[in-house]
Amino acid sequence: MSVWAALAGGLVGTLVLTTALRTAGELKLTRMDIPFLLGSAFTTNRTRAKALGYLLHFAAGLLFALGYYVLFLILGQSGWMLGAMFGMVHGMFAGTALVNILLPLVHPRMATPLTSAPDVALLEPPGFLMLNYGLATPVISLVAHIVYGALVGGFTLLAQ
Amino acid sequence: MEPDSSQRAANARPGLRDGYAPLRDYAAIGDGRTVALVARDGSVDWLAVPDLDSETVFAAVLDAQRGGRFVLEPAVAYGVDRRYLPGTNVLETTFTTDLGVVRVTDAMTLPDPTGLTPVRELQRRVEGLAGNVPMRWSVTPGFGYGARTLRMSRRSGVPVASCGADALAVCTWEAGEPHCTQDAVSGRFETRPGSRALIALCFAHQDPLVFPTRAECEARLDHTCAVWRRWLDGRACHGPWRQAVERSALALKLLVFAPSGAVAAAATSSLPEHIGGVRNWDYRFSWIRDSAFTLDAFLELDCPHEAQAYFWWLMHATQLTHPRLRVLYRLDGGARAPERVLPLEGYRGSSPVRTGNAAGSQLQLDTYGELLQLTWLYASATGRLDADIARRVAGMADLVCRTWQAPDAGIWEVRSQPRHFTQSKMMCWVALDRAIRLADRELIPQRHADRWRREREAIREFVETRCFSDRKGSYVRAAGSQELDASLLVGLLHGYAGPDQPRMLGTIEAIRRELAHGPFVHRYSGEDGLPGTEGAFLACSFWLAECLARCGRRDQAADLMNELVGLANDIGLYSEEIDPSTGAFLGNMPQALSHLALIRTACAINEEDQR
Repeated sequence: MSVWAALAGGLVGTLVLTTALRTAGELKLTRMDIPFLLGSAFTTNRTRAKALGYLLHFAAGLLFALGYYVLFLILGQSGWMLGAMFGMVHGMFAGTALVNILLPLVHPRMATPLTSAPDVALLEPPGFLMLNYGLATPVISLVAHIVYGALVGGFTLLAQ
Repeated sequence: MEPDSSQRAANARPGLRDGYAPLRDYAAIGDGRTVALVARDGSVDWLAVPDLDSETVFAAVLDAQRGGRFVLEPAVAYGVDRRYLPGTNVLETTFTTDLGVVRVTDAMTLPDPTGLTPVRELQRRVEGLAGNVPMRWSVTPGFGYGARTLRMSRRSGVPVASCGADALAVCTWEAGEPHCTQDAVSGRFETRPGSRALIALCFAHQDPLVFPTRAECEARLDHTCAVWRRWLDGRACHGPWRQAVERSALALKLLVFAPSGAVAAAATSSLPEHIGGVRNWDYRFSWIRDSAFTLDAFLELDCPHEAQAYFWWLMHATQLTHPRLRVLYRLDGGARAPERVLPLEGYRGSSPVRTGNAAGSQLQLDTYGELLQLTWLYASATGRLDADIARRVAGMADLVCRTWQAPDAGIWEVRSQPRHFTQSKMMCWVALDRAIRLADRELIPQRHADRWRREREAIREFVETRCFSDRKGSYVRAAGSQELDASLLVGLLHGYAGPDQPRMLGTIEAIRRELAHGPFVHRYSGEDGLPGTEGAFLACSFWLAECLARCGRRDQAADLMNELVGLANDIGLYSEEIDPSTGAFLGNMPQALSHLALIRTACAINEEDQR
């Protein structure tokens, strides 16, 4: 197994994931915008936030790909299906804990369950399964993460 | 047969009519997440948890028997005097009896960063000031608008009412031994000079209850007062109506939903616009109609954080429906608010009691003018617009070009057939005018600016030829009608016509002549598809005063403003409407639009004074 293949899968997977979410936004299926959520932790300029957010999201995508790679090594196998399963777990984790619980803790402009007067949050929290951003959000997010995982797993397999 | 505890509490309360306190008697306390209404007699008759738009745990204002309430009052006859603690949304009620004097301090407390805070906490501190006064209290929760069955138990000696994922702990100190029945927790105690009892309702929603210590509660109440004062200290409130503006700023802040920055139109649902009537709506949503006024008020009050959060929230919320706007959005940014009827009696028999609001799916063309005006205000204040927002704003202007000729439901969301409402057309003109201004400053894409100019002129042509009555010397409610509408004043306020324009001056006079009775202004003449009548609409009265000020009639504006400030209840709050014959409050409260209009009018008159 090649770490470079995993990273390549992570890069392509993140590209697909990001494009899928952006497309879903354009189709008015979700208000989920991961680059914006990430970038707005550092700036209130929305344009800069999105640009910075894309960089951070791709960096995160590569880091997660490394994590997948380590798991593939431990299990001694990789592949499209295994990657897709990892992606499903990853997507569920993102929808329930990562974006909903952990991100508000570190994001200076996102509301937490205790946000109240006189504070006012610039970003509403995603809520359980990110449902605050639209009813279709959990499905779109989960599918996109499964595709991401499949690509990381697939690229790793192809390089063997 | 002995009546149940809620009936006993209801029967014992003085000054009630049909079992209900006058709406004018309610004070609002809140924490930026939810709002409780406290009556003059110390009964908390409205509280939704965990959030403003959640189901209620107390809704006695909508059903005295089943809604649920928290009664706290002397057990003997009393007089009441109350105020907000200066600079705060913390209420202080002083009960004077023949036996002595008691002071109750009510607050929805704010999280204390040093302690473990309950998700929501309602605190009631009872202090004996003079003599020995017997007090009685009773907590009768009504989870799910009073419809859900609760389970009463004790955890570590603390009475707990639970229902599904919700729970409420009744923590008391020196407030007598709590007595639990199947549906209530109650107690009695006696105050003495210097005594200090405390009752804290600690709520949990989908998480474990937090049982605070008394010291934590006391510290949190003090912290809450300090935080509110600090917030108000940073606001810009000047001029002769400073106190009223400060109270309106605090009332408005109560309606800001802190997690998203959305501003609710009011804290309640289904308080009637006509006693016994059907005009009972859920106002716990954010209306685009109010958006420009809201941002303007935030900027006037020097609330940059609230202004930015509100703008961001609006841009976030409207994303899924772009380029179309919904009439209203939920506080979490969602667009769906299906209307349903609850099995509650309604305030003094005013049914139906509704949650959700079917107006959400109406076509209201004025919303585009409001949003473009809001964008103009925001861009003027910040000097920039982000690229994606600029693109969307231009898309909305294009949509206005395509749709302004359609009939709509108008600003007042009539439930009769759509019409060509004049105010809607004026606001479409405002939308395109602001789009052109933004394009001229290169803040939004300019490629369709010529079309916006052409359509803007076409709208003016339509309004000037079809929406003006020579006989009345005034713009009229809708094309071809002879009815009047106070919302036409908004056209002037948003710049459709200048203050020296004869037709606008004629409209102001016609509204004063036909819709105003003293300080009271009705919204419109003519039908609206609903049976019954309604009270005078307070925001319209303030708009009239602001228009007078803008037209240079400063003294007339100030006189009207003085009268309107005098119409607030004893602690400075307004509902949506007032019954001109009795002065009784009608409609949901506290009403954001009434307080927004007060803030704007006070600022407008101050500006005239400074010229």
